[in-house]
Amino acid sequence: MKRRPLSMAVAGIAAALAALLPAATGHSEGAAAPDGSVRRLTEAQYRRTIADVFGSDIRVVGRFEPDLRVDGLLAVGTSAISVTPGGFDQYEEIARGIATQVTDADHRERLVGCAPGPQDADGRTCAGRFFDRVGPLLFRRPLSPAERTGYVDVTLTAARTLGGFDAGLAASLAGMLSSPHYLFRMEAPGADGRLDAYARASRLSFFLWNAPPDQALLDAARGGALSSDAGIAAQVDRLMASPRFVDGMRAFFTDFLLLDDMDGLAKDSLIYPQFNSSIGEMLKEQTLRTLTDLLVTHRGDYRNVFTTRRMAMRRELGPIYTIPLAGTDWTMYEFPDGDPRGGLLTHAGLLALHSHPGRTSPTLRGKAVREALMCQKIPAPPANVSFAVVQDVNNPTLKTTRARLQAHLDDDECASCHRKTDPIGLGLENFDGVGRFRLTEHGERIDASGTFDGLAFSDANTLGRLFHDSSKVASCVVRSTWRYAYGRNPVGDDEQAIEAFDAGFARNGYRMVDLMRAIAIANAADPKPRAARRTVALTSGRSPS
Amino acid sequence: MRVAGRSAALRRLGVMALPLAILPLLAAADAPTGGNPGTRAFVITNIFFVGGADAGTCSPMSVSALETFRESLSPEEQARYPQPQKRNELSRLMDERLGFRRMLLSGTDAGGRLRIAQFPPDIPRGTQLTPDQALRVAALNGFPKGRGRLAFSNRTIAYSACSNPEDFPQLARGHRLYEGRTAEGMDLDGKRDRSDFVGPAGQTGIDNQLWRAIGCTKAFRDASASAERERTFLSARAPTLIRIEGIDDPRNDPDVTVTISAAADPIVQDGRNQAVEWASYADDADRRLTATTHGRIVDGVLTTDPVDVRLNYKEQILDSPRDLRAARLRLELKPDGKAEGGFYGYYTLDSFYLSIEQMTQDGANASGVSCPGVRQAIDRLADGYRDSRTGKYTAISSALRFYATPAFTTGVAARADAAGQAGGGR
Repeated sequence: MKRRPLSMAVAGIAAALAALLPAATGHSEGAAAPDGSVRRLTEAQYRRTIADVFGSDIRVVGRFEPDLRVDGLLAVGTSAISVTPGGFDQYEEIARGIATQVTDADHRERLVGCAPGPQDADGRTCAGRFFDRVGPLLFRRPLSPAERTGYVDVTLTAARTLGGFDAGLAASLAGMLSSPHYLFRMEAPGADGRLDAYARASRLSFFLWNAPPDQALLDAARGGALSSDAGIAAQVDRLMASPRFVDGMRAFFTDFLLLDDMDGLAKDSLIYPQFNSSIGEMLKEQTLRTLTDLLVTHRGDYRNVFTTRRMAMRRELGPIYTIPLAGTDWTMYEFPDGDPRGGLLTHAGLLALHSHPGRTSPTLRGKAVREALMCQKIPAPPANVSFAVVQDVNNPTLKTTRARLQAHLDDDECASCHRKTDPIGLGLENFDGVGRFRLTEHGERIDASGTFDGLAFSDANTLGRLFHDSSKVASCVVRSTWRYAYGRNPVGDDEQAIEAFDAGFARNGYRMVDLMRAIAIANAADPKPRAARRTVALTSGRSPS
Repeated sequence: MRVAGRSAALRRLGVMALPLAILPLLAAADAPTGGNPGTRAFVITNIFFVGGADAGTCSPMSVSALETFRESLSPEEQARYPQPQKRNELSRLMDERLGFRRMLLSGTDAGGRLRIAQFPPDIPRGTQLTPDQALRVAALNGFPKGRGRLAFSNRTIAYSACSNPEDFPQLARGHRLYEGRTAEGMDLDGKRDRSDFVGPAGQTGIDNQLWRAIGCTKAFRDASASAERERTFLSARAPTLIRIEGIDDPRNDPDVTVTISAAADPIVQDGRNQAVEWASYADDADRRLTATTHGRIVDGVLTTDPVDVRLNYKEQILDSPRDLRAARLRLELKPDGKAEGGFYGYYTLDSFYLSIEQMTQDGANASGVSCPGVRQAIDRLADGYRDSRTGKYTAISSALRFYATPAFTTGVAARADAAGQAGGGR
C-alpha cells in the first residue's frame, strides 16, 4: 500500500487532537487539567478490540510504544502518556497491516460484505455501511455525520488514486485505526457537564473486561440505560456474569503485580538451566489462574491469596516445584499442610521476577512486596552505593544471602531502606532465583525468620499468614483497584471514597468481585470526568494539510 | 482436592515431619517438596554397553561387510573404489553383485532411486505388514524365495546381509571378537568357566559374552567410551524409568520394590541439553514394558532380584525393544540425587539382532558393522536360556550401564492424564 493516501486520511490528526485535548499538545507537564479525561489504549486493549471487531484471525503485527507505570500501575500511566512521533509511525504501520487484512480476499466477504455494483457504482453506499458497522465499535461511540462523511469520502478519493475500492477502503480504515478517537479513550463532558453515556460504557467494559464495549453495552448507552444507577448496576452485573470478566480480573492483577515484566524474563542458563522463556510464561499464567480460581470462580476472600495451598499447575512446572504432575493441561494442585509452599508469596513466578538473573535478591523481593502489595514507596538506591559484598555469592565466609546483606547493612545509609525491604525478602530466601525450594545455601542452613510490622515470622508460610491478617495489605488492593479503574491517583474527596470502599471490602468478607462491582458502579456513575496530566508530547509528526 | 496416590497420613506429614531416616535422601536434592517420601524414581538418560578394553586386544578392529566385500575384489577393482571417498559407489556395486534388494512400500524416497513394491490383491497398500505378509510382498517383487524383511522403520522391504545374514557368511570374515581377560559385568550364573571375564576390580566369574561378541566393533566400543557415553542420550524419546518404593532408609533397606518401566514421554531437557531433574513421566500403557521385582539397598547401592525386562530402545530409525532375561539391576544412589547403575542379564538374541538389522545395510556399512559377523558371533557365544527343542542358547549374557536423573512417575499415561494430579515417586 502506498503511503500517500493514508497520509491524506490521517492528515489533520494532530490538529484534531489539539482541538479535543488542549492540554495534550506540546509539552504540557504542569499544565492545568483539562475538562476531559484521556487514556491511551494499552497494547492488550488494542489487540482485544481488533479481535472483537474483526476476528482473532486478523494479526496485529508491530511494536507498540511502551506503556508507562505511574506509582506502580500502568493503568494510571495511560492517563499520563500520549504518543511520540516514532510511536505514531508504529501505530500507523500496525493500522495499515490490519486494514490490508480486513479488505483482502480471505476476509473481505465476511468483514466488508459488499462491493461497488450497478446500484452503487463508486461504492459510497458500501463504504457507508462498513463504517456504520465498525466505526462505533472502534470509536466506542456513534460516528458523527461529519466523521462518517469524512471516512466515506476518503475511501472514494483513495480508491480513485489507488485504482480500487478495496484499497481505498483499507486506506480509510487505516486512518480510522490511527485516529486519536480509536487510540485514546476520550471523555469529553456532555452538555450538562456530566460524563456522557458512551464514556460510562467504556469505563465499565475496560475495567471489567479489559475490552471495548460490546454492542449490548453501546445499545444500553444509546438507550439511556446508563444514566441511572440501576441501569449501570444491571450492566455491571451482566458484564461480571460473562466469562470475559476473568479477562478483566487478569488484566488488573497483571498490572497490580507487575506481571507484564515476566514477559522476556531471562535467567542465567548455567545457574538455572530449568528456566526458559516458556517456563516464565507458564509461571505468569500460573499466578493469574490461581488468583482467578480463588477470587472469581470461588468468589474467595482476597486475604486467602496469601495463604491458599491451591495453585494452578501444569506438568512443565513440576521440576520448579519439585512435585509430580500428570496430564498435559492446567490443573489445580493442592499442596499438603506443612508444605513450604502456600500463598502468593511462594509463587515461583513472583520469586523469579524479583530476583537477579543468577541469584536471589531479598531487597528486590521486599521492595516489590512493599510497593505492589502494600502500596508503599521505597526510594531507589543512591548511585554511588557499592554492592560488592552482596554480589559476591562465592564468599567463603558469608555463605548465605542473609550474611552478605548483613555485611552490607553495616553501612547506616544503606540500612535505612534495607530495614524496610530485607526482612520480607529474607523470609522468602528458602526459594532460589527461579523459585525452587531450598533448605541450604552453600551448605549452610537458611534462616528465613524475621519480623513484619512488629510481628515475628519463621518462614514464608508464617509470613503469608501475617500478610493475610494485615489491614495494610487489604487496604492496598482496594486503593490499587480504585486507581486502576479510574486511571489516575486520587485527589480531594477521592480519599474518602476509597476509605468507604475499604470499609465495605472488610465488611463484605474481602470479596474481590464485590469490590470490583462497587468500584465499577461508582466509576461509571462518576458525575464528571477528570483528567490526569499529560507528560509526553503528542503529535502525529506531520503537518496538517 | 485430594492428592491422588498419596495417603492422607503422608500428606499430613509434610517435609518437616518426615522420618529422620529420609532426611539424608532429601538433602541430596535440597529438600524437594513433593512426591511420596518412601519412593524414589529416576529417568535413564544415557545407556550403553560396557565391557573391557584390555591393551592389545581388538587389533585389528572389526570391519564392515562392505570392507570385507571390497577386499574380495581384484586389486584393480579395489583401486577404483578408494574408501571412504567411493563408499556409496562401492555399496551399490555390492548390492548389484550380491543381489541385495530394497523397495519402498509406499511414497517416494528423496533420491528417487527406489521403486515402489507391488502388493498382492488381498493386502491393501498402507497395511502395516506382518513378517509373513512382508515375505509375500517380497516374493511378488522378485526377491529370493523366503527372503526379505521390513526395514527402515517399516517403510521399506529389504534383502541384504543385514536382513538375511545367514545368506552371506563370507561377509563375516572381517568381524573380530574381544579376546581380553577383563570386562565389566556381573556373575549371572554363579559358575566359573573359561568364558568368564575378570571384573575391573578383580571380581571373578563375570558373564558378559555379548561384549566378547561386539567389543571389537568400533560403533559399540565408541559408544562405551567414557566421553561419548556421558554426552549421548539414547532412546531419549522413549526412556526407561526406575521406581523404588517402600524405602525406609535410603542407605540401607533390606526390602524395597523396584519397578522398571518405559516412559510414555521423551526426556525433558533443559537449555544445556541435560535432563531436567524432577520432571514427571507417565508409564507407557504397554504393560510388556513394565516389570517389578524386589531389591535391597546396602550402603546406598541397590541390587535387585533377577527379573525379565523389556527396555525401550527407540533411536532414529531403530525401534527394537531390548529383551533381557533374568536381569539384575544395580543402582548407585549418588549424594547429588542422581544415580548410576546397570542392567546385567541375558539379552535375547532375536531382540539384540533386531537392533542390528534395523540399522539397515547402509547404516551397518557406515558404522563399520558386519551384520553376518555379529549374527555369527552372538549365535556362537550365546550362553543363556537353551531352547530344549533345538538345543541352542537363545540369549547372551550382557552388561548395560546407564546414568539416571531424579524424576517423578505418575502412573500409566492414559489414567494419569485423566487424573490430572498424581502422587508420584520421589
